[in-house]
Amino acid sequence: MFRVDLFSLTSAGAYLLLVFITLAAAPRKDLVDSRQKWQLWWVGPGTLLAYSAGSPWVFLAGWIISVVPLCLDTATGRASRLVLASSSVPLALAFAAPASPAAFLLLVLAAAMRKGIFPFHFWIPKAFEAGPLPVLNLFLNGHLGAFLLIRFAAPMFPEPAREYLSVLGVFATVTSVLGALTALGTRQPRRILALLCGSQAAMILAGLENANAQGVTGALLHWWVVAFSTSALLAVYRALEARSTETAALNGFLGFGFHAPRLAVFFAIAAAALVGVPGTLGFAAEDLLFHGSLDSHPLFGVGLPLATAFNAVTAFNLFARLFLGRRGIHVPRIADALPRERWALTMSTAVLVAGGVFPHVFAALRAPAANEIAALLTGR
Amino acid sequence: MAESLLAALVLAPGLAFSGLGLAWLAGYTPHERLIARLTAAVYSFCVVAAAAGWAIGSNTAAVRTPVWYWFQAGSYHFEISLLADRLSWPLIELTAVLVGLTGVFSVRYLHRDRGYFRFFLLLHLFAFAALLTLAAGTFDLLAAGWELVGVSSVLLIAFFDERREPVRNAVRLFAYYRVSGLGLLLAIYLLHRLEHTTEAAKLFRGPWPDDAALMSASAATLVGLLLVMAAAGKAAQFPFSGWLPRAMEGPTPSSAIFYGAISVHLGAYLLLRAEPVLRASGVAAWTCTVVGLLTAALATLVHRASVDAKTSLAYAGMAQLGIIFAEIGLGFPRLALVHVMGHAVVRTLQFLRAPSMLHDYHRVHAAAGGELGRTGAHYHHLLPERFRLALYRAALERGYLDAWLSRYVTGPVLSFGEALESWETGERQGTAGEPSRLAGEPEG
Repeated sequence: MFRVDLFSLTSAGAYLLLVFITLAAAPRKDLVDSRQKWQLWWVGPGTLLAYSAGSPWVFLAGWIISVVPLCLDTATGRASRLVLASSSVPLALAFAAPASPAAFLLLVLAAAMRKGIFPFHFWIPKAFEAGPLPVLNLFLNGHLGAFLLIRFAAPMFPEPAREYLSVLGVFATVTSVLGALTALGTRQPRRILALLCGSQAAMILAGLENANAQGVTGALLHWWVVAFSTSALLAVYRALEARSTETAALNGFLGFGFHAPRLAVFFAIAAAALVGVPGTLGFAAEDLLFHGSLDSHPLFGVGLPLATAFNAVTAFNLFARLFLGRRGIHVPRIADALPRERWALTMSTAVLVAGGVFPHVFAALRAPAANEIAALLTGR
Repeated sequence: MAESLLAALVLAPGLAFSGLGLAWLAGYTPHERLIARLTAAVYSFCVVAAAAGWAIGSNTAAVRTPVWYWFQAGSYHFEISLLADRLSWPLIELTAVLVGLTGVFSVRYLHRDRGYFRFFLLLHLFAFAALLTLAAGTFDLLAAGWELVGVSSVLLIAFFDERREPVRNAVRLFAYYRVSGLGLLLAIYLLHRLEHTTEAAKLFRGPWPDDAALMSASAATLVGLLLVMAAAGKAAQFPFSGWLPRAMEGPTPSSAIFYGAISVHLGAYLLLRAEPVLRASGVAAWTCTVVGLLTAALATLVHRASVDAKTSLAYAGMAQLGIIFAEIGLGFPRLALVHVMGHAVVRTLQFLRAPSMLHDYHRVHAAAGGELGRTGAHYHHLLPERFRLALYRAALERGYLDAWLSRYVTGPVLSFGEALESWETGERQGTAGEPSRLAGEPEG
């Protein structure tokens, strides 16, 4: 019923740290809000239950528990709720009839819906427009879509996985590039953050289908990069939202870095990690991921570095618009990072920077699972 | 011993950066005097260590540290090693000296400036990244340093963050760096794929500059072209030359060290390091030469028509870099190295003196007893009036490069992004309030 190994332990451990960071950095008004409180109580445990699952039904239970709060929240938007609610159906059907020829396809469909892979990519920015950011952060950074492929889809259906998983990789790459391009033309910070998260997170699935150890290891490291960096980005942005009403649209430069330099630095480091700047775990993860993708798809694989280059420009542009370009009396006086925010953001930064200095330690933690998947997909 | 000195001098600015950064995050901002002393100590050490390492290692063709795998997965390894040879020792020494001098200059130049601490923090990051690039024994490690140079560079352009223009220009430069950096990334991938290593010692046989590439002509062409693209982005060569004048928004010392001395020359360094690849491929070598000559011609024109000191210096530097590229493409690496060294020193001095340029100008003219004629003015009269005017207009418009890139490259990409966003949200982008275009793109 339950399965505990290095992969599930490291995934659950990182997720627990993420829960702590999210809760510690969340504004007080989010934590006292009864709606978000119960949502957080469902998403976190639901994801952890799915991580510990050895049987498909336990995984399905975790999947549904974690998805329910967002499906019931009108703030996430009708289309998003529909996609998220529907994602449980193919999963349940595939687990109910594993002998069916369509079972593998249904699992891939469920993963694509949950991870916002093209053509379901629209739900993430839609949900971010007015949805609860701490809850969405914990939901997205569970990466249960990727976990489903690694733990159940590939081991249960090795033959179809070898044959058809590359199609999902193509869709994931398209999602990544489309998200990066859309983010270049977007004005709302919440949508920009959603598109950045979605575009970078899609690379995890793009990497998983590479039938080589470097691509899969890169994807599994990138999972942590996306989780910790987007958590920090969303926490800092939510802190700004809680302090000022000027963040709703990027109308010019907001200059928050003048009064909140530490929030600016945490944001900058997280953004740098997300787009693979050296000195962060993102550099190693994306290096492995790009080499794996280019090995598998010499032409199509160029999409991932290209999307990362666009995302880097978007991330720096967002940083510049939020934190630079204004000074003195024109900038609203806001508080810099509070002690509890500082602790949480320091923790996230420490993980990303430690991973940048000692990437081999992090890679070693992910290597057994990566090798297992690569072996499954190559049939060796 | 020389290996230890090499490793220590690369790490010293990195440790200074980490120490200052951690202290600030812990809530302690060091006093100006402490920062000044730390800077003097770090770069004095680097200068002495580089000189000592060079002297000790001079009896061998190259000083190398063992190759170490930073991380690996399957058959892929990220290789790390340090290398100092006849190419890198002079440039390492030059970097240590010029960063140190600029640091000492900045102690007074930025005295009591709000960004004093930030400037020195980024200066240490830049020095670490530049030394890492110059001392890298593998292209993997070189790429890491290369990228960090870019990051420190854009953060210093946005140094005067209370104004919008420097911030817009920083975003624009970042875009140039990231896009041209794809060339380096793909070249390294090809080296891994085709040669199974990125270690210079294994890729090239023999000591620099008499080394030879151990790869086929077709592989050399592919890798060479991608490296030329990356180098052109870093050295502001055609067609990436539009960013250099925009980068002059940062404080004068950072303009000196980045765009006069070290950062722009890293493009030339990359090509000098990979010169055997260019030699093995006629296409890549000729591309490098043509890019250099085109840039030199264009930059000379623009330089002659510029009205402000720093832009004029930027284009003068770009013209020299174009000539350096041509020298490398034509197979004169020794000449190119000497040219890089001399140009870096002269340009640093000119940039640091730029705020006093008008004073210097008047003094020189007064000493000459009248106004000195412009050099090369007699060439103007050889051209027909109409052609002269067309050239003048092209020079004022900086060769129409920015307009061309905006119209045919960045504009369509951004418009496509806006169309996607409009399609998803059902709202027209860029019509209400501030347009959604990138900070560096023209608005309205």
